[in-house]
Amino acid sequence: MVGREKKNLRQSRRDFIKAGLAGTAALTFSHASGAEIGTFQFGLTPVFLSNDLELLGHLRTYLSSKLGGPVELVTRRTYQEITALLVSGRIHSAWICGYPYVQYKAELDLVATPVWHGKPLYQSYLIAAAGRSVDGWTELNGDVHAFSDPDSNSGFLVTRTLLAKNKLPPEFFFSRSFFTYGHRNVVRAVASGLAQSGSVDGYVYEVMRETEPDLIKQTEIVRRSEWLGFPPVASPKTLAGDARVKALQQALVSMNGDPEGQKVLDLLRLDGFQATDPSLFDTIEAEVQIVRQFG
Amino acid sequence: MSATRRFRSIPVTFRVPAMVALLMVVISAAISERVLDRLSKTQESSLNGLAETYLDGLSSAVLPAVLRGDVWEVYDALDRSSSSYAALSPVETVVTGSDGRILAATDPNRMATFSRLQDSYLNRFGPGIVTIDEAALTGFSKRELVYQGQPIGAIHATFDVSHLFAERREILVTLLVTNSVLAVLFSLGGFVIVRQMIAPMRILENHMRSATHGAAEPISPNQIPEGDSEVAGLFRGYNTLVHAERERANFAMQLAEEEKLSSLGRLASGMAHEINNPLGGLFNALDTLKTHGETPGVRDTSISLIERGLAGIRDVVEAALATYRPERSHRPLSADDLDDVRLLLKPELRRKQQRLDWNIVWNELRELPIKGGPVRQAVLNLLLNASTVTPEGGALSLKADSSGSYLSIEIGDQGPGIPAEIAGILIDSDPGPAVRAGRGLGLWMVRRVVDDLGGSATIAVKKDGGAAVTLTIPFEGESIKANAA
Repeated sequence: MVGREKKNLRQSRRDFIKAGLAGTAALTFSHASGAEIGTFQFGLTPVFLSNDLELLGHLRTYLSSKLGGPVELVTRRTYQEITALLVSGRIHSAWICGYPYVQYKAELDLVATPVWHGKPLYQSYLIAAAGRSVDGWTELNGDVHAFSDPDSNSGFLVTRTLLAKNKLPPEFFFSRSFFTYGHRNVVRAVASGLAQSGSVDGYVYEVMRETEPDLIKQTEIVRRSEWLGFPPVASPKTLAGDARVKALQQALVSMNGDPEGQKVLDLLRLDGFQATDPSLFDTIEAEVQIVRQFG
Repeated sequence: MSATRRFRSIPVTFRVPAMVALLMVVISAAISERVLDRLSKTQESSLNGLAETYLDGLSSAVLPAVLRGDVWEVYDALDRSSSSYAALSPVETVVTGSDGRILAATDPNRMATFSRLQDSYLNRFGPGIVTIDEAALTGFSKRELVYQGQPIGAIHATFDVSHLFAERREILVTLLVTNSVLAVLFSLGGFVIVRQMIAPMRILENHMRSATHGAAEPISPNQIPEGDSEVAGLFRGYNTLVHAERERANFAMQLAEEEKLSSLGRLASGMAHEINNPLGGLFNALDTLKTHGETPGVRDTSISLIERGLAGIRDVVEAALATYRPERSHRPLSADDLDDVRLLLKPELRRKQQRLDWNIVWNELRELPIKGGPVRQAVLNLLLNASTVTPEGGALSLKADSSGSYLSIEIGDQGPGIPAEIAGILIDSDPGPAVRAGRGLGLWMVRRVVDDLGGSATIAVKKDGGAAVTLTIPFEGESIKANAA
C-alpha cells in the first residue's frame, strides 16, 4: 500500500514539477521576484502547528525586526513542496524535516536546529487508540496506519526503518496506510478511528498534550523511537554568502534573549535554537540507507 | 333519519352552537390537513434543497481527494462539513471510492475505512433526493461522484429528520389547540347570540302558548324592543292579530246573540200566532156557552171546541218547553220530537205559505238511543234555515229514516244552494275558518250537535234545485262501537 502511495506520490511529484511549477510555483516566482526587492522568504513545513496564526504573526514580526526588512512566511501542504522551493532556491530559508535535509544535504546548509528539553533532539512515536492496550509495536500488524508525510522523518521514515530492520515490508505489515500531511492530522485520524495506528512526531505529540489534551487522551503511545536530530532550519547552498541568511541564523540562535522571540518559543514550547553540526542527522541518514537497502 | 329528527328536537339555542362547533371541527380538520400537507411538502423541498447543497458542497470538496483515494482529505472534508451544515443535522456521511469500499466516514469507528458498505445499508437509499424513514426519523441521501463522465465514488449521507416531525407535531398541536379554543369561543358566542336572538321569540312563543289555552294577550309595549325593528314589527303584528281576533270573537258572539234572538223572535211570534188562532175560536165557544149554554148539544160542542183549542195551545207550549228546556234534552229521541218540530215550524210555514213534505220511516222502537233535545234543535234550525231560503209558496221537505243502525234525516229546500264557505261549517273536517268568517252561526250550532252525537253531515244539490242537508247520526251503542273500531 505504501508502495502504491509512493507511486501515487511520484506521480503527483511529476505533476507538481510539470504543472505545479507552472501554477503553484508561479505564485512563488512572484514571491521570488519579490525577494529580489528585499522580502526574505521563510518556508514552513507542516512539521509544527501551522494552523496557529498567532505564532506566525509573532514569528514574522520577530524575523522582520531582526533581518531589518520584510519577511514572508511561505507555507505549503506538503514537505515536498517546501523542500522543492528551498532546494531550487526560490525561497531563502525553510524549517524542514531531517529526512529531506539528509536527502538534499549536498544542496543545503544548516542554519539552526531547535532545542527542545535542552537538546536538539526529538523522537518519533507510534500511537494507537487509547484503551487498545497494545503490548508492543508488532501488535499493530494488520492495522490501517496513518503516516504524516512521505518526506517526514518521524511521521514516515522512522516507522519504515523499523519495519525494514525487522524485514517487514510495510505493505504486508499494515493492511492499509495513508498520509495525512500533518502530524496533528495523524493524531486526529487515530483518535477518530479512521486509522488504528499512526506515526507521529513526538515533539508535536507532546505539545498537543498541552494544547489539545482531549484529543491526545483518545490515543496512547505504543513505541518511542531513539532520539533523532530535530527538524532543522536550512537554506540553499547557493545563498551561502547572503547576509540575511547569516542574520537569520543569528536571529534564531538569539531568539530566547528577545521578548518577541521568547513569545515565539513559548508558543512552540521550544527552549531556543542552536547552530548544529550536520552530523546530528547521521542517524537519520543511516535510516535512509537501511530503507534503501531493504528496498 | 331518527338522528336528524333527534337533532332537530334540540333547542335552537344549543343546536346553533353545536353546529358552529361542528363546522369549526370540520373547517379545522380541513385546514389542519392542508397546512400539514403544505408543511410536509415545504419541509420536504427544504430538506431536499439542504441535502442538495450539502452534497454539492461536499462533492466539490471531496472529489479531488476521492480521485486520489486520499483517505485523510476525504475524512477532513467530512469532519469540517459536519459543523457547517447544522441546519441539516447530518448524522453520518460515508464516502466510497470507485471500488465501493469506504474511503472515509464521519464516524470511522462505526464505518471502518476500506471496508465494504453492507447491502442492508445501501438499500435504505431510495431513488429520490432524500428518502425518509419515518420510523427511524432519519433521511437518506446519496450522490454519485462523477469525474469526466466516469463514476469515481459516491457519498451516502444520513440526516436526523426528527426535528421535521417534531415541527409537524408542534404545528398540529398548535392548530388543534387554537381551533379548539376558537370552536369553544365561537360556540359560546353562538350560544349567547342565539339566546339573545331567541329571547323575543320566546316571549312570542309564551303568548301564543297561552293563546292556545284561550287567553290571547297582546305583548305589553315595554317588552317590544325598540332597536330591533324586525322583532318589534313581529310583536306589533302579533298584537294586531290578537286585537283583530278579539274583535272578531266579539263580533261573532254578537252575531250569534242576534241570530239567537232573531230565531227566538220568529219562534215566539209563531207561537203567539199559534196560540192566538185557537184563542178566537175559544172566545167564540165561550160566547156560545154563555148564550146557549143550557142547550146540551151546543154546550157539549162548545166545551169540545174549547178543549181542543186548549189542547192545541198546550201542545205548542209543550213543544217549546221540550225544545228549550235543557233538562229534557237527554231524553231519547222519539217520533214525537220531530212532530213537535213540525208544530213549532207551522207558524213560519203558514206565514210564508210554504209546504212541508214530511216523510218519516220510523223503526219498531218508539224511542231511539239518541239524545232527543239536540236533534230537535238541529232539525229545527235546519228547517228554519230552509224556510228562510225557500221562496214564498215553495216547498220544504223532511225525510227521516231510522230503519238501520242509525238515524238519517234529510232536510231539503228550494233555495239557491248553500255557499261553499258556509257549507264548510257543516262538512269540513276543521270548521274553524268558516266559523271565524262570522257567518252561518245557526249551522255552527247544528255542526256542534252532529259532532257531539258522533254523526256527520253532507250537503247535496237536489235535482229540482235547492239544497239537501243530510244528517247521519248513529245510535249511541253503535257510535261507541264505531268509535271503538
